[in-house]
Amino acid sequence: MALTTQRVDVPVIVDESKCLEKCTACIEVCPLDVLVKNPETGKAYMKYDECWFCLPCEKECPTNAITVQIPFLLR
Amino acid sequence: MSADTELNEWLEMLRAPDVSERLVAIKMLQHLGDEDALDPLIAALQDESSAVQKLAVTALWELANPKAVPALVECLASTDEGIREEVLSALGELVTPDHLLLLLDALHRDDANMQLNVLILLRKIHDAQSLPYVLPFFESENPELREAAVTTLRYLNQVERCQEAITLMSDPDKNVRRSAALTLGHLADAEVISSLCQALTTDADWQVRRNAAKSLALHADSTAVPSLETALADEHWQVRKFALQALQKTPAEQTLPALVKTLADEYSDVRRDAAIALGILKSPIALNALQQSLDDPDKDVCIYAQRAIQNIHESTPETSNA
Repeated sequence: MALTTQRVDVPVIVDESKCLEKCTACIEVCPLDVLVKNPETGKAYMKYDECWFCLPCEKECPTNAITVQIPFLLR
Repeated sequence: MSADTELNEWLEMLRAPDVSERLVAIKMLQHLGDEDALDPLIAALQDESSAVQKLAVTALWELANPKAVPALVECLASTDEGIREEVLSALGELVTPDHLLLLLDALHRDDANMQLNVLILLRKIHDAQSLPYVLPFFESENPELREAAVTTLRYLNQVERCQEAITLMSDPDKNVRRSAALTLGHLADAEVISSLCQALTTDADWQVRRNAAKSLALHADSTAVPSLETALADEHWQVRKFALQALQKTPAEQTLPALVKTLADEYSDVRRDAAIALGILKSPIALNALQQSLDDPDKDVCIYAQRAIQNIHESTPETSNA
């Protein structure tokens, strides 16, 4: 049986094909410090599921690699 | 790492051949907000990558240094729509009256995107000196430029007369007529009222008719009353609503039957404005109709009908004592 190594149901989704290895814009703007770099791939991901849905990470990403999925009741 | 070292590192990366590295460098320079990065960021507006150019615009917008304005104005003619929109938003906050001559120079450039964006930016400056430069665009073959020019006219201070704007009320493009109708609300030419009245009653586009009614409300001219009365029977409810709002500014006894009729309109917004207009008119003849509106399914209509009845009673004490 295949195992997943990373949670996929977190609200901040990073498109790894667009994420730039040297860029830390999303990590710097996150007020809760929940985004980190995967040391193996150099891509950002959401390590702690504590999102406030404030959206600077999505807005600041220079390549539009981040999508924040806002819960229906907060839209 | 000291601030200077960090700055130099990103400035060095801004010259990297790899686009992704330049993107990262610009984003980081934006976050640093160091004025020493101004010139490299201005140079980045000429980058071969449109993504880098757009980020450079955003970074310069955040630095908000007036020195960047001439370079940003050049980007208004960019072939990339995303860049043009970003520059327009940035310049919307950065331009000041000091940049008027710069913008007027740019208006002479033979580029429709540049001209359109400069016309929009002139609205931020409000300077009547722009008028001779804006007027030629009223005869442009491009309807977008005609619309932008007539809209800009509305924002120029001290401009009260402009015959050319009245001629745009018969423009073949409905968007131009819509903007012209709103602009005429701010002009004082002799023909403005008659032109607006004609548009209100005969134009094929309901938004032109609605805008004409809005402008007539600003003028509050009693000669428009017959046309406004006709507009109370317009097929579109927004035209009826704004015609009523114009009639509230110029109460006339002759409109009473038409006002009473609109108390039974299918749209509650129209019924509410009819009640307000009758309250201003203060005619006891409307009392019966207003009494019936107290049972209106819309609460707003009931409230304004009640106020109108109160107004009428206060203006005719013998009626209230009866």
